[in-house]
Amino acid sequence: MLNLLFYHKQGLIDKHGRFNYNTIMKKKTWIWVLILAAVVLAGVIATIRISRRSGTYALITVDGELVERIDLSKVRESRDLVVETAYGRNIVHIEQGAISVTEADCPDQICVLMGKLTTDGGMPIICMPHRLMIEIEDDGLDG
Amino acid sequence: MAKTKRLALMALLTAIALTIFVIENQIPAPVPIPGVKLGLANIITLVAMVLLSRREAGAVLLVRILMGAMFAGSPSTLLFSAAGGALAYAVMCLTVGLFPENRLWVVSALAGVAHNAGQLIACMLVVKTPGVLAYAPILAASGVVTGVFTGLAAMYLLRALRKTKL
Repeated sequence: MLNLLFYHKQGLIDKHGRFNYNTIMKKKTWIWVLILAAVVLAGVIATIRISRRSGTYALITVDGELVERIDLSKVRESRDLVVETAYGRNIVHIEQGAISVTEADCPDQICVLMGKLTTDGGMPIICMPHRLMIEIEDDGLDG
Repeated sequence: MAKTKRLALMALLTAIALTIFVIENQIPAPVPIPGVKLGLANIITLVAMVLLSRREAGAVLLVRILMGAMFAGSPSTLLFSAAGGALAYAVMCLTVGLFPENRLWVVSALAGVAHNAGQLIACMLVVKTPGVLAYAPILAASGVVTGVFTGLAAMYLLRALRKTKL
């Protein structure tokens, strides 16, 4: 009852007890601050969780088609794999437990800047202009 | 506002948006996450929507995206900015009337999330791998942050423009 009185004073409900959406939209800045902050927080937490997913197999795909599936834990000597397609050229560096793009002839260089994707996790490497994607196959044993 | 004046204003806003878009493209990405950028040109879309109308803002946005791809991008960037822009525009149209002008940053935040969602969908269609969904949470978060920023910028710009008795 006290609650209802409070809502009435705030203009959230009218005298018939109906919710007044207009007032909510107009008055309640903090509701939106809270909702938007929650989205940001959830996004960051989810991303941290996702980047902790681990596995030993790295999948390299172009245009959704598998180029190579590599067991990163069994790489003895590091090597460079040249992925050249009609879209462009990337040099993928494969080493024990990690994979990265070291060279790309695309303008944005995001895939190079993303650094290493390791068997302990990390975000998938995407080179949008070349439709190239490198991800760690989830072995389902994550905490 | 007279018809000629509206047309002149639209042309002016398009030119400004295009300039912002091209300059922003020259700056290297602040964080190495595909799809994350400030989207400063959205300030102009918001201003056009408030000062003019939804339809006219849509025209400004369409011309900016097409010409932006011609000046700065490639066919693949056109696909992403078009998918993001279309979804952001739809959300803006639906929500801009629901909020008062001093709550424009909420509209912009929702549009920012929609923009990134559109880009992610386009990305999934291109790469054809569900793995790109790993980027959904961080793109939602960055859409809110950049959206609030551009929304506030648009609000201050509108305030300043009103003082000039445009």
